[in-house]
Amino acid sequence: MDDDQSAEETAFVVEEVSSIVKESLEAVIGRNPYEHKRVNQWMSSVVEQCLGQLSKLGKPFKYIVTCIIMQKNGAGLQSASSCFWDNTTDGSCTVRWENKHLYCIVSVFGLAI
Amino acid sequence: MSDLAKEKAARLLKKRGSLSSLGSHEVRAKETFAKTKDSISTVSYMEEPGHHDDIPRPAVQMENTYQLSPARRFPVLTVKDILKDVLTSYLQEEKYEPELCRQMTKTISEVVKARVKDLMIPRYKIIVIISIGQIRDQNMRMGSRCLWDETHDNFSSHTFKNSSLFATATVYGVYFE
Repeated sequence: MDDDQSAEETAFVVEEVSSIVKESLEAVIGRNPYEHKRVNQWMSSVVEQCLGQLSKLGKPFKYIVTCIIMQKNGAGLQSASSCFWDNTTDGSCTVRWENKHLYCIVSVFGLAI
Repeated sequence: MSDLAKEKAARLLKKRGSLSSLGSHEVRAKETFAKTKDSISTVSYMEEPGHHDDIPRPAVQMENTYQLSPARRFPVLTVKDILKDVLTSYLQEEKYEPELCRQMTKTISEVVKARVKDLMIPRYKIIVIISIGQIRDQNMRMGSRCLWDETHDNFSSHTFKNSSLFATATVYGVYFE
């Protein structure tokens, strides 16, 4: 039965995932400036929307979605990730998004079950 | 063309997400760049899984273990101690500098991954994420959500701060069924 499943259905497709992430960022944050009171709610919405869309893809994956929202202030940020997994089935995708007032980095890690 | 776009993105964003490229076989990071009226986005990812034409490997047939849950669970507190230890030892006296911190994030993530692997927790996949940022009166929020099995999977995280930089380290442990 496993042989019948095509590779596309069980692979981590980066384009799909990145378009899901970009859409939810545009929808939730859009052009808004950094507002301290709202950023918590934005973060939850972005991440939950992404996770909802990812689970709708119906692939046999466990997902981890992380989001960093930072005000544009001239400060620097470096980020790295290191993963111990199965390179043939698992994948990750990082989307760096910015508007005039803030930066947003969303990383999605997909691990095959 | 893609190099120019990459440089422009790096200058505009003033920070980089870096993917660890140390490993036994070659993994290549790719980036694509897009610009709409109000926002700029960059996507980066490792070379697509499953398309390893240069390293043909026979499909691994796994035997059924009849095991429903892990023998040993993910040791959250032990991992938190590892993170505390590594972050303080590497960053105690450092000041934020872009090049140094870029290298530091990659190094620290590899070191943490190696130490967690040494714990020898069978059937767990490990993801380590390190972020080092400059302190400059800016506000920032980091969050994550996971779609996984609550009973078996877990994570551990730690934050370190000194006068010029802050660092967060998060380790996710996911059970491979």
